[in-house]
Amino acid sequence: MTTIENTDFFSMDRRTFLKVVGAIGASAFLGVHHTDITKALEISKTKIIWIHGAECTGCSESLLDAGNPDIVQAIQKLNVDVVYHETLLAQQGIFVDGKPAGTSELNSEILLDEAIEEGDYILVVEGAVANGPNGTGKYCMYGERTFKEIFKKAASNATFIMAVGMCATYGGINAADSEIVDMTDFRGVAFQRVDPSKGMLTELGIEKPVINIAGCPAHPDWILLTLAAVILGKIQLNDLDSILDKYKRPLVFFPEDITLHENCPRRGYYDKGIFDTEFSGDACLWKLGCKGPYTHSDCALRRWNGSVNMCTQAGSPCISCCEPGFFDNGAPFYQEAEDKTILSGLNMDNAAKIGIGAAAVGVAAHAARRILFDNNNEKEEEK
Amino acid sequence: MTRVVVDPLTRIEGHLRLSTEVNENGVITDAQSSGMLFRGFERILVNRDPRDAARITQRVCGVCPTSHAMASGNALDDLFGIADQIPKDALVARNIIQGLNMIASHATHIYVLWLPDIVNPAYRDVLATIGETGNALWKELLYRFAPISYRIDGVSIPPGKAYVNAIKEKKRLQEAIAIIAGKMPHQMSSILGGVTYRPNVADIGKLASYYYEVMDFVDSSTLGVDHGTWLHNTFQASSPQNAVKFVVEHLQELVDKSLLSNDFSHSAGWGDVELLAAFGCELIGETLLGLPASLKLDRTGGYDSNSSVGFLTYGVYYDVENGDGYDPLEFGKTGFQKAAFITNSLEHQKFDHRNVTEEISHSFYTGEDNLHPFDGVTEPVIDADEINYSGNDQSKYSWMKAPRYKGVPCEVGPLARMIAMEEPLTMGLIKSFTDNGYSAANTFTRMVARVQEMLIISEQLRKWITSDLDPNGRFSVPADLNMAKDSQGIGLWEAPRGALGHWVKTGSDSKITNYQMVVPTTWNSSPRDKNGIPGPIEQALIGTKVSAVENLLGIDNSNPTGIYHAARSYDPCIACAVHTIDLTKENGRNKRVFDIV
Repeated sequence: MTTIENTDFFSMDRRTFLKVVGAIGASAFLGVHHTDITKALEISKTKIIWIHGAECTGCSESLLDAGNPDIVQAIQKLNVDVVYHETLLAQQGIFVDGKPAGTSELNSEILLDEAIEEGDYILVVEGAVANGPNGTGKYCMYGERTFKEIFKKAASNATFIMAVGMCATYGGINAADSEIVDMTDFRGVAFQRVDPSKGMLTELGIEKPVINIAGCPAHPDWILLTLAAVILGKIQLNDLDSILDKYKRPLVFFPEDITLHENCPRRGYYDKGIFDTEFSGDACLWKLGCKGPYTHSDCALRRWNGSVNMCTQAGSPCISCCEPGFFDNGAPFYQEAEDKTILSGLNMDNAAKIGIGAAAVGVAAHAARRILFDNNNEKEEEK
Repeated sequence: MTRVVVDPLTRIEGHLRLSTEVNENGVITDAQSSGMLFRGFERILVNRDPRDAARITQRVCGVCPTSHAMASGNALDDLFGIADQIPKDALVARNIIQGLNMIASHATHIYVLWLPDIVNPAYRDVLATIGETGNALWKELLYRFAPISYRIDGVSIPPGKAYVNAIKEKKRLQEAIAIIAGKMPHQMSSILGGVTYRPNVADIGKLASYYYEVMDFVDSSTLGVDHGTWLHNTFQASSPQNAVKFVVEHLQELVDKSLLSNDFSHSAGWGDVELLAAFGCELIGETLLGLPASLKLDRTGGYDSNSSVGFLTYGVYYDVENGDGYDPLEFGKTGFQKAAFITNSLEHQKFDHRNVTEEISHSFYTGEDNLHPFDGVTEPVIDADEINYSGNDQSKYSWMKAPRYKGVPCEVGPLARMIAMEEPLTMGLIKSFTDNGYSAANTFTRMVARVQEMLIISEQLRKWITSDLDPNGRFSVPADLNMAKDSQGIGLWEAPRGALGHWVKTGSDSKITNYQMVVPTTWNSSPRDKNGIPGPIEQALIGTKVSAVENLLGIDNSNPTGIYHAARSYDPCIACAVHTIDLTKENGRNKRVFDIV
């Protein structure tokens, strides 16, 4: 694992910084570097506009579950001004006889327009952008306009855009297979499922730097650490390609060459060929449908909710909730991957990777062999 | 007449529009409640492996995902025909997961979503009219309840102490759920057949310590007296009258002590509940305690005396006294919080899910109307020109349907559940209000019921954790996908914000052919039905005065606090409420009548 050789925040280069944030988590990072950050941030406050489209507010909830620091402390430590956030805001949208009433201190929609006008903000998007019906975006509206219009206006003037959670990144549940998916036509910020040509930015002809924080919901560390890295200038917005994968996910949290399976707390059972075939056991969950070997995330190291637990540790198969194409690529969730169409699912790139290279291959193929050999009471000692 | 529209109503989940007519006396005379999002959730479930529904339906709502997982789990247990075998300890674990989320959701609603309205600058001005006491009180309210990013007259106000602590508490409760359910939001443990995780002795110890942390928060913020004392004298009071008497005498003592010193701090005995009960409520504060002013929350969000709005609850939590298994068709007949339909005159009736229908006359759907959820045939409007919110109640104006029980609109949520339990403090308050010409249901009684439920469940939770959960027990039963062939299931449950029902049907390949959810906010925030009867929130808005303290300082349509209090007291959750009922007409096999109960 990464060792932290250089903890001097200012002299740290970008790669070391990313390693450090990846290794030690938001709490430790912001704690260790609090003094440095405070110095760096005396210069300016960073404004954040956070908008909600078609979503469940699970990602905002997840952010409220951020450990140490909690959300209020993080805002203070990073010197962030959350200008607009529909779930937390004191203000309301108020229209009297059709006209926005009052000032930005009481009226959220005046506040939003003024903040967009001023510019110089990070735009955080939670939720997919409705394009339907027929490109009008009227399947999601508030403040007397479509969310598509709000997104267009807010995106146009943003310094950069962070899409948070599966809905904002790839469309999520809104874009999952159904008879009506073409009609509702929900889009992620820069992708629709794995297709970048159908991202809402492309649809609107807007070019902006985008970072995708995947996950259903997004992990609060992923959100806070990415914000910290951008705010502190450790991520260069003109050079995002080097730190993101092709789905614009930060490699530090969603590594291309490591899957959840490799650090799974139940890995020891897998290595011994001990598999659960019923729930509420202790062993490897592969036969119950675990998609951990296909899932590029650091969940198994970082864990969730103050690092108390994570899905496979709690006996639940990983459902691959941070891969583009979720929910279709991981489903059926409780069916062994080998039996199912996961390899011909939506996320073809992922499948290709499993087929041809890198560590993930070894894992999946190994899993298959392991099961096979185990059934024949044979031993295998590779890897 | 002035049209005053709140859009979006913030500090709720999702996008809600409230369009009102306000007359020259500042009274709301007409209201329409509109859900502003269409996602097509139930259509997405069709043709999927039914076992996945307990994961997918959680994505309806990130605030109360556990409730969807539980309702879905019940529907699946029924679908696979194994509900009678679910091990007792799996049921206890599900109860614990739900109980923790219920408390977390209530705490979030009370402190993060609802209380910031109390520090609206309108109340500074109202309280200033009673001099030093009012000013001291205003300072205390700001100190406790200010939200983040808050400014008044250009001055930044730091987030309130209770607000910040409530976020920490909510975070800890989610951690507690994660200990036995992997993560939150969108927990992973409750599945068809039980739960995925067998808690060990250490987990039980940890869960117990979370219970004590919750109680520490309650004792250091929510209440000015020890929670045991409070519950003993209210929830366990010998009569509703005695419960109210305890609260009023307790408050009188505080008032006598503090009106001279103007000390409204927690150390002077003023919990958040005491502050709101004395100074938020006209009947208690002004009439019973003789205070010079109150925020008159009990004058907002009530129903007209001619209103037919009833109260509905499906019941929640498994009755774990009887060992393994439960009956999904008789759910809520026994146990801790029971099912009931209660009429507007507070008459209790036996709940029968066959009386639930959904209407679409004012919803953006086409197709046959007034159907039981299982027979629903509905298509969303696809012509963009028809999606128009600027009209009135003559047209379609919401993505929410209009659920009715025996044709009656129903309020669901903590107040309905407390009435169903005949909780003494709630019943005592209701009697005091109705005796004095107030609506039994109003902003104040809804908030008291929510707090009271949070406390009652905390106590129940301790029992589930420390005496009912056996780490050596069984936590799941296996089920084969074939068992779901040509089947159907019903899952009744309660989300923090009210009655939640899932209905599922499958085909010969065991895949979902129809999935239905009728969710709490669809009940509360319902549009008009075909008879023109408005939904509960619409009725609660009509008659409420638009600005603070019954327009005490004049009518201010640009700061319509009456609308905020009334609507937000239902804890609306819009992502839950907007969905389409699935196509079944293409599949003749599913025409059969759902013949349970």
